[in-house]
Amino acid sequence: MRSGDPCEMQLGFFFNQSRCSGCFTCVIACKQWHSVGHEVMNWRRVEATESGIFPDLRISFLSLSCLHCQTPSCTSVCPVSAIFKREEDGVVLVDSERCLGLPHCGVCKDACPYGIPQFNPNHDFKMEKCNFCLDRMGQGKQPVCVDACPMHALDAAPLTELSRSYGDGKVADGFHFSYEATPSIVLKRKR
Amino acid sequence: MRLDDSEDTKDLRVIASGGCHDCGGRCPYSIHVVNGKAIRIEPRGELRACVRGYGYIKRVYAPDRLKFPMKRVGQRGEGIFERISWEEALDTVAENLKRMMETHGPSSILCQGSSGSPGRLHNPAPIYRLFNRLGGCVYRWGSASAEAAYFAAQVTFGTHATGHTKDDLVHSKLIILWGLNPTENIWGTDTSFHLIKAKEEGAKIVSIDPRFTNTAALFSDQWIPIRPSTDTAMMMAMAHGVIKNGLLDARFLETYTTGFGSFRDYVLGREDGIEKSPKWAEAITGVASKVIENLAITYGTAKPAALIPSFAPGRTAYGEQFHRAGAALAAMTGNIGMPGGSPGCCDIPPVGVSPGPNMPSSPSLIPIGENPLEKEKKEGDHPLNFAFRSRYRVHNAKLWDAILHGRSGGYPGDFRFFYVVCANPLNQILNTNKGVQALRSLGFIVVQDHFINSTARFADILLPATTHWERDDYMRPWLGGDYHLFGNQAIEPIGEAKSDLRIARELAERLGIRDYSDKTEKDWLEEIVFSSSDSKRDIDSYDEFRSDGIAPGKVKRPVIAFEDQIRDPHRFPFPTPSGKIEIYSKDLADLHDRDLPPIPKYIEPWEGPRDPLIRKFPFQLITFHVKTRAHSNFYNIDWLRGLESHEIWISAIDAEGRGIKDGEKVRVFNDRGEIRIPAKVTQRMMPGVVALGQGAWFSPDENGVDQGGCANVLTRDEASLGGATPTNTALVDVRKLG
Repeated sequence: MRSGDPCEMQLGFFFNQSRCSGCFTCVIACKQWHSVGHEVMNWRRVEATESGIFPDLRISFLSLSCLHCQTPSCTSVCPVSAIFKREEDGVVLVDSERCLGLPHCGVCKDACPYGIPQFNPNHDFKMEKCNFCLDRMGQGKQPVCVDACPMHALDAAPLTELSRSYGDGKVADGFHFSYEATPSIVLKRKR
Repeated sequence: MRLDDSEDTKDLRVIASGGCHDCGGRCPYSIHVVNGKAIRIEPRGELRACVRGYGYIKRVYAPDRLKFPMKRVGQRGEGIFERISWEEALDTVAENLKRMMETHGPSSILCQGSSGSPGRLHNPAPIYRLFNRLGGCVYRWGSASAEAAYFAAQVTFGTHATGHTKDDLVHSKLIILWGLNPTENIWGTDTSFHLIKAKEEGAKIVSIDPRFTNTAALFSDQWIPIRPSTDTAMMMAMAHGVIKNGLLDARFLETYTTGFGSFRDYVLGREDGIEKSPKWAEAITGVASKVIENLAITYGTAKPAALIPSFAPGRTAYGEQFHRAGAALAAMTGNIGMPGGSPGCCDIPPVGVSPGPNMPSSPSLIPIGENPLEKEKKEGDHPLNFAFRSRYRVHNAKLWDAILHGRSGGYPGDFRFFYVVCANPLNQILNTNKGVQALRSLGFIVVQDHFINSTARFADILLPATTHWERDDYMRPWLGGDYHLFGNQAIEPIGEAKSDLRIARELAERLGIRDYSDKTEKDWLEEIVFSSSDSKRDIDSYDEFRSDGIAPGKVKRPVIAFEDQIRDPHRFPFPTPSGKIEIYSKDLADLHDRDLPPIPKYIEPWEGPRDPLIRKFPFQLITFHVKTRAHSNFYNIDWLRGLESHEIWISAIDAEGRGIKDGEKVRVFNDRGEIRIPAKVTQRMMPGVVALGQGAWFSPDENGVDQGGCANVLTRDEASLGGATPTNTALVDVRKLG
C-alpha cells in the first residue's frame, strides 16, 4: 500500500468528549499494560481546555494517543523508515531497532500534528507510541484504554464502523483535525 | 524489534482480583503474573477501576515499600530505622505491651485503625481482637469521613442506609450534587457512569461547591459556588423558598414525618425572629438570593429530584445540620422512597452496607469481641451525647489532645502505648503539628503498614504488612452495592511482609492469648465471606466465588431506600422512636444542647466567613479528595503524582490582589502551622476560598514548615458535637514567599 491511500479496514478511535471526566484512567491503564516504565512518559495523554471567567466556566477534556493517521506525517519524515503503516488495518507502528531516537533525530515528533511520539529514557530514547494494543487485538479484545474507561467514552473499531455508529465528527474542544494527516478518529464534542 | 509487547505468555497466570482503597467503590480486575511477578492488570467487566487501580502495581512494587520489620534508631520523626528480624520486632512489641498492661493498665493503650486495607479479613480488626482479648484498650470514635451524615441519618431515619443505588439516577429529573465530586473521589465504582447516563437521559444537574470540580465541569448545567461551612444556611433558605412558593408536599409531611411545624416556624423566623430567607442566606453563603430561590422552586417542582449530599459539607463545624437539613428538604418535597428521588441525608444505599473496616462494629469482619474497658454502662446514658460517646473512646478529632492531656483533660486514659494499623493519623487527622507533639510524648509506638508514611516516621517498631495482592481477601464497597469481590493472592509477600491477621496471631502467641484463633486463615476467610445475610443469598459456592473473583448480587435493582415505608407506612414504620422521619427529634431535644438542636438549624461555625478571625486569616480552606490518591495512599507513587501537581487553588482575583502568580511557591498558614507549595491561580475557585488536596505526606523542614503540603497542618482539632471531623472548616492566609 502506498502511503496516502486510505485503507479499507483502517482502524481508528472514537472519543466522546461529553463523557470524559479527565480522570486519567486511560493514561495509566495504557502505561501499565505496555510497561511504559518511565514516570512521566505516557502513550496516551489527557488534556484540559478551559475557558470563561468565574463563575461562567467551561472545561473540556481530551484523551489522545497516536491516531494512526491515514497519511501520517511521521512515516514520511522518518529518515530511516522506522515508522510504517500496516497494510491490513492502517495501524502505524515503529521499529525501535531502526529508530535513531534522541538526541540524533526526533523529527517525527515535530512533524506529528499532535506531538504524539515519545522518547523513552529507559529504552535508549527510542520512539514509542500507541500500537493499538495489537496483542489484545490478537485475542479479539479492544485496546486497554477502551476497556478501562470508567465513562465508556472511548471506542475502537474500523473507521467505517465508527462512522456508522457515531457519525463523522471531526471537532472537539482542544483538538484540531489535520486534513493533511487525516487522523483516524471520530469525535463527539462536549455539548 | 518491539512491534508489539506481547510477552512470552507461556508462564502467564491470570488472577481474578480487585480492590484498592477508601473511595466507596471496590473494583474487579485481573492481575497478570509471569514467573511469580505481577506484570500488569486487565479490566474485567463493567465495574471499572480508576487511575488508582491501574497504578496499584507501582504501589505493590514501590521501591520504598516497607519490606522488613524495623526499629527506630534516630529521634522520633527523623525516620531513621534499622532492619531487625520478625522475632525481635514481635518480641519487642509484646514485651512493651505486657509491661504497659502490668504497670499502667489497658487504658494506657490507644489503638488507631483506619481504611488502609480494603479487605474484610485483613484490616485493623485482627488487632482489635487481640487487644480486646488482652484486656482492652482505648479506641477512637467518629468516622473521619462521614460521622455527620451517620449522625443525621440515625437521628432522622433511624439508619445510616438512606441512599439509592446509582443505577437509579436515570430516573431523576433533577440531580443536585451538593459538594459531591465523584469524578475524582469515586463515591462508588460506577457513580460517574450512572450520572452521565442520567444526563444523557435529560436530567438537569446542579453542582454546589466552592470549587469548579471536574464533576461540575462534566455534568453540571449549573454551578453554584458557595462559602464553605455555610451550606446549611442555603438549605434553610431553600426550605423557605419551598414553603413561600406553596411547593410543600403536605400529604407526605403529614403521613411520614414528625415535627415539621417546629422546623417551619424556625425557617419562617417565628422561633427566633430571623426569617431564613434567601436574602438572609445570601449574606452568609455568598450565593445570590435569586439563585437560591430559583433552585428551591426547581427542586420543589421537578419530581422526582435527587438531592445528593456529599460527606464533605458535613465535615465542617456543625456539619450534622447539613445532612439533617437535606433530609428535611427531601421530605418537604416528597422525594423519599421513590425512584429518582433521594432522602437527601447519607447517600449510602441499603444494600451490602458495611460501614467500613475502621468501624469495629461492622459485620463481615473477624469477630473482635467486646472491649473490657467498654463494658460498664450507666443509667441515663444518651447514645447521641458527645460526652457519653467519649467516655470510653477518643473522638477522632481529639486524638492528639487526648494523648497530650489524658485523664486530666477528661479523656478515658493516660496514653503511653500507641498501636497504629492501616492508618496514617499524623497526616489524616486534624492539626498535624499538635500530632507531632503528641507522638513525641508517647512511650512506645507501633506502626503496621505498607510504607514509612508520615506517622510511621515516629514509630519505635515498624511492622510490614502485605497488600491485598499478596494474600486472599474478601471485599465489599463500603458505599453500598450488591456485589462481592474475592481478591485472590497474586504474588508472594514483598520482602518479609506478613498479613494483618498473621501479625496479630503471632503477637497473640507471645502475649499468651491462647484462644486468639482456632482456625486457619483460609477457614477464617470462608467464615467471613458467609457471615452476612446478603452474602448467603448471593454466593452459591465458595469455590466458584473464589475462581470467578466476583459474585453479583441477587437483589432487584435499583435499590431505593425506604420504598417499603413509603408504600405501606403502617406495616413498615421507620426505625426511629416515633416510627416516622424525625424532622424534630425528641432524642435530641432531651439533650438540651444548643449545638445539637432537635430540628435542623444553621449554627454559625467557628472559623467561618463571619468569624472575626477572618481579619487575620482571610481565606476559608477546603481540603478536597484528589483523583490520584485515596487519602494518603498513593501519594508516593510517581506514576500518579506525575499526572497532577499538588498545589493550593486560589482564585485569580485573590491571587492578583496578593501578587501571586500561577505556579509560584507560596506560604499557606495560620496559627497552627505553615505549608509551602505552588499556587494554582484559577478561575475555578470562589474568591475568598482556597482549596488543597488532602493526603500529601507531611514533610517538615528543620523549621517545622511543611514542604509536603499536608492539609491537616492547617486544620483545627475541634469536633462537632454530633461527631463530625471538620476538615473543611479552617481559616488561613496565603502569601508570597519572602
